[in-house]
Amino acid sequence: MENKKSKKKFRGIENPYSGYLFIAPQLLLFLVFIIYPVFEGFRMSFFRASYHGEQFIGLDNYKQLMADPVFLKSILNTVIFVIAIVFLTIIFGLFVATAVYDKSAKYISFIRGSFYLPVMVSMVVMSMIWNFLLNPANGLISYLLGNMGAENVNLLGSKTWVMPVIIFVTFVGNVGQSIILYIASMIGIPEDYFEAAQIDGATRWQRIHKILIPLVRPTTLYLTVINIIAVLKIFVVIQLLTGGGPNNASVTMMYYLYQNAFVYNNTGVAAAVGVIMFVIALLLSVPQFKAFGKER
Amino acid sequence: MKRRNKVMMSALALTTSVLLLGACGKGENKKSATGKDQEAITLEMWLTPQWKGVLDDKEEKADYDSFFKEAAKRYEEKNPNVHVNVQVIPGEQRADKLSVAVQTKELPDMFFDSSFALSEYAHMGVLAPLDDIIDEKSQKDIPKSIWENVQINDKTYFYPFAHNPGTLSYNAEMFKEAGLEKYMAPEYEIANWSSDDLKVISKKLKETNQEVAPFGLFAKNNQGDTWNMSYLRMFGNQFFDKDGKINVNDETGVKALEFLDDMRKDGLTTKGVETLSSNDVNAMFQNKQTAINFTNSVLFNGIKSDMASGKVAPFDMRLANIPGKDQPVSFTYVTSSVVFDSGDEARIKAAKDFVKFYSTDKELVKASKNALPVRDSVATEFAEDMPYLKAYQDNSENIINFSNNTPGYVELRNAFFPELQAVYTGEKTAQEALNSFAENGNRIIDENTKKSVILN
Repeated sequence: MENKKSKKKFRGIENPYSGYLFIAPQLLLFLVFIIYPVFEGFRMSFFRASYHGEQFIGLDNYKQLMADPVFLKSILNTVIFVIAIVFLTIIFGLFVATAVYDKSAKYISFIRGSFYLPVMVSMVVMSMIWNFLLNPANGLISYLLGNMGAENVNLLGSKTWVMPVIIFVTFVGNVGQSIILYIASMIGIPEDYFEAAQIDGATRWQRIHKILIPLVRPTTLYLTVINIIAVLKIFVVIQLLTGGGPNNASVTMMYYLYQNAFVYNNTGVAAAVGVIMFVIALLLSVPQFKAFGKER
Repeated sequence: MKRRNKVMMSALALTTSVLLLGACGKGENKKSATGKDQEAITLEMWLTPQWKGVLDDKEEKADYDSFFKEAAKRYEEKNPNVHVNVQVIPGEQRADKLSVAVQTKELPDMFFDSSFALSEYAHMGVLAPLDDIIDEKSQKDIPKSIWENVQINDKTYFYPFAHNPGTLSYNAEMFKEAGLEKYMAPEYEIANWSSDDLKVISKKLKETNQEVAPFGLFAKNNQGDTWNMSYLRMFGNQFFDKDGKINVNDETGVKALEFLDDMRKDGLTTKGVETLSSNDVNAMFQNKQTAINFTNSVLFNGIKSDMASGKVAPFDMRLANIPGKDQPVSFTYVTSSVVFDSGDEARIKAAKDFVKFYSTDKELVKASKNALPVRDSVATEFAEDMPYLKAYQDNSENIINFSNNTPGYVELRNAFFPELQAVYTGEKTAQEALNSFAENGNRIIDENTKKSVILN
């Protein structure tokens, strides 16, 4: 009797292992395409690879990186990009979402659609359009600035302006996602809070400051972490707009990694950059989780 | 029992499919024309776009792969056990595609491109030397200066097919408008200017037409950097010393870069040099926004052809050399074939045989007229049809081996243009930028020399 019961238990959906079966395909993909490459990247960073084999060189790839001023510049640039773009995306996303969340559904849809449009456009296409606009010889922006009396304006060729321009271009392509998520999150907040606040005579700013912003913190956390990781991998804009120039003023870690992996065939060095990026992403993300986790 | 049968059947089906798939691979047996069993070989050939059509772009359905498909067809008729797949790779994807192929050990058997772009693969030890397929007749038919471009350490890694000399081109109509006739060479000849002439010409052009940038300068990326590197040789610099180290930061190199930067500051070049690519500048030349441009024989013929077809508004376009101190600076891209060392002797042998076939076949080598033939025999045959041929041939004594076939040349190119940008944005002086390039470049050469399989 006992035996029959346990046999039956292992046949149906109540089988304790059936859950594992459901997640098995995803787990397999995760192991093959995420976990394995991470470990393989760590391993490769200690080797010098050639067509004829690999040679263990310890920390030489890392030492080579640290001695290269272009790589150090790429770290600094990447950190500036991450901080600026994440900050702008969160602030502007919050600003737009808090301004429209309680308006009519049609209005919200229009705002959402308008800001989300650039997210749907391929970054390659966006970069090509910006390239045309900013071309110093025959670009539209240079032409208009020239007509206004500003001669020889070359924003992408200026060490001072190249970073703000790339930050702006990336921000425009990114911000739609944060607006969508913030609006969705704000619409989901129970009406009771706002009614209570209204009875207490709270101003709109107080409602935003005391109710909305604290209650959408999980979304802020999600957006912060996702954007940190996305901006760390910024590549297409750099490749198409500046090629890391002028004089490496806009080179990023991902661009540096790509150059080493696919142009110079320095796979070991590229893997070492990947490992450093992984560590930076961790370092930047962990405090976010900790800070938001504590208060929840 | 039933379940066991099912499992057995599935295993059998799987094994059969695997075996069948295996049989479809590269080792299939085929009967040759002589009836003898020979192992069938499928070769992969990659190329970057060079010319359209087999011999001419006016042929029906002319495309970049037409020549090699025709060559493969003719070769397969004589060698039925060999099949050649031809794939055109965009030039800007060459490095990526080959890098992935190297890492995954999935290299093609052959590649057709400019030799300098593939020299790093020779240093990596993945190219098979081709000396065993070069006969005495070919050796005599192709000039020594071309052979020097395709050899490293006295071994030939690139089988030369055509070459593509790099010079300047100028809009002769703009010259005439500015009263600069004395600096123009007759049509079908290459003008020679000194660096002072270039400055005088540019100033006069600017005075005559403020809307036109006299000299098309660019430094956005490594595109067309052979011209930028050649400009630095204007006052006699050699770029590399006799030990293969960079010496462009000496007095002559610095003077040349200062000369270019002064031209830029005086408004005699394109604006925003640091973010202009050679493609941008080439388009500007065609749109009559610049007067003097970089060019090579394929680009030059392409613009001529576009003028004839109405794509580009026609103008009188002529050739000039890059100024030099004692003699003009000229270089050439040797378009050639390489065979990758796949480790499979039969495949390497077949690939070499195919390369030899189209590089020596009397009919097929005529396609080299799309650039310039490396073979004297072909050049003589087409002398009447190619009006610039004599001028280019006379100019061959000025040709330099611009890359020195140095290990790490790709990395070197990428270290070069940021320094130019630093000068053109006023961040560094010419001396500082070239010192920095020499230091960085010599480190790159040292590291890659250590890694070079054929130099160690």
